[in-house]
Amino acid sequence: MSVIEVSHLTRDYGHGKGVFDLSMEINAGEVFGFLGPNGAGKTTTIRHLMGFIRPRSGFCTIEGRDCWRQAAEIQRNLGYIPGEITFFEEMNGAEYLRFLQRYRGMPDAGRTAELVERFELTLRGKIKKMSKGMKQKIGIVAAFMHDPDILILDEPTSGLDPLMQNRFIELIQEEKARGKTILMSSHMFEEVERTCDRIGMIRAGKLVALDSTEALRQQYLKSYTVTLDDQEQAADFARDFGGKQEGCRVTVSARQTLEEIFLRYYGGDV
Amino acid sequence: MVNRTLYFRELRGSWKLLVIFAGVLTMYITMIIWMYDPKMAEAMEQFEQLMPELMAAVGMTRTEDSLISFMSSYLYGMILLVFPMVYTIIRAHGLVARYVDRGSMAALLAAPVKRTSICLTQLSVLVTGVLLLMGYATVLELAAAGALFPGELDVAALLRLNSGLLALQLFLAGFCFFCSCLFDDARYSLAAGAGVPVLMYLMQMLANMGGKLENFRYLTVFSLFQTQSLIQGEGAGWLGTGVLLVGAVLLAGAAVVVFFRRDLPV
Repeated sequence: MSVIEVSHLTRDYGHGKGVFDLSMEINAGEVFGFLGPNGAGKTTTIRHLMGFIRPRSGFCTIEGRDCWRQAAEIQRNLGYIPGEITFFEEMNGAEYLRFLQRYRGMPDAGRTAELVERFELTLRGKIKKMSKGMKQKIGIVAAFMHDPDILILDEPTSGLDPLMQNRFIELIQEEKARGKTILMSSHMFEEVERTCDRIGMIRAGKLVALDSTEALRQQYLKSYTVTLDDQEQAADFARDFGGKQEGCRVTVSARQTLEEIFLRYYGGDV
Repeated sequence: MVNRTLYFRELRGSWKLLVIFAGVLTMYITMIIWMYDPKMAEAMEQFEQLMPELMAAVGMTRTEDSLISFMSSYLYGMILLVFPMVYTIIRAHGLVARYVDRGSMAALLAAPVKRTSICLTQLSVLVTGVLLLMGYATVLELAAAGALFPGELDVAALLRLNSGLLALQLFLAGFCFFCSCLFDDARYSLAAGAGVPVLMYLMQMLANMGGKLENFRYLTVFSLFQTQSLIQGEGAGWLGTGVLLVGAVLLAGAAVVVFFRRDLPV
């Protein structure tokens, strides 16, 4: 069953910017990776899903609700990390999270304490003075604090150090195991490879690839067969390079990383 | 409809500014009332004779010798018009347009709170600030007049005057809030939200100078605040006040509708 549905979404900003006849569905319990170069339309799509902007044609729904008309109802069960995090800068971290808790009408602090500990977040000090990474961590806590079933994450690990990126990937994997539906845009191929079931690639506002992570890789699987002098060498070669031996012949497959596949699609514009 | 958490947080955000403006009003109101002294009045009359146009422009022309008309000349021509207006301009801009421009509106929208509710909350914060300033000014005027010139002030006339002033300030608040909700770019919100009221005040100044310039009063909402009529309790004063109030409500309504329907690039 699809939880997030984008249907023939079109929004033309002129100069080839925007999204054009974009359709995709994200199923319950799925982690969906949304890839594309800057300006391809990822954030525009996400703004439509969040109900910030009205589709000029087409529509999008979350849990069957229209993203524009029923935004507030959708938000009850949704967590969001914006691409560019800006908060009420004169508050400190703790004040901000407490404000959000009450503003959202949460009965208690939810997962706040656990997440703050997990990401080693320092809540003292004004948000204005915080580093990009620290602001990003606050954004993560704000998106997960109410334990929503649906998550829309726009480049969630930008600004995080590798250790924290890893903790974030672990969090996503846990949430996936708990059955959450997640849409994640990213430039970090490793995090997408480690978490996403399916991937949609967008270019100039159009979807150019939409498939499971595994299928995308299979599609670009290259095999080489080499013939060696004798069977013994062939056996060694097969062991060292993980190939299949048939007499003196060994077939090895080169799996491309997602990054290489991505670069194939975007060639010139990245 | 109003989100209490947001309301109180924004009220806290208005606090500093309110204190500053209340301070400025305190200084002027007490000073002007204290000057209602035959000797000081003579000094003001000399000013009037020296620069009649300038004094007229800021409404400082005397009609009769009562404390209320003295106050209406020296407080209600500029000080009580301009200072609350500046507060309104700053705050209206900060409550919506600045958040949209900076992107922090996204944090407010990414919650189960309706847009209408966000907008009405911010509007109530703005209106609360205006009410607090006007309420404070009224109490201070009554206190200062009561302390310095007991029994001299026509309290009913003052209240009529201040209800007209409140209507004017609410109209300006409605206009500034509408601009704040309308534009994507904070610069445009500020240019329109501050520019138009300031221009209107300048027109009022020209109109005050009399002669042919008086026709400028048809181009400014400030002329709907008719101090003389309100002091006398005449119909024209109430009519102006009513028009301003209706305008304020229409502008506020338009602001909410615009904010509800528009794209927010956050």
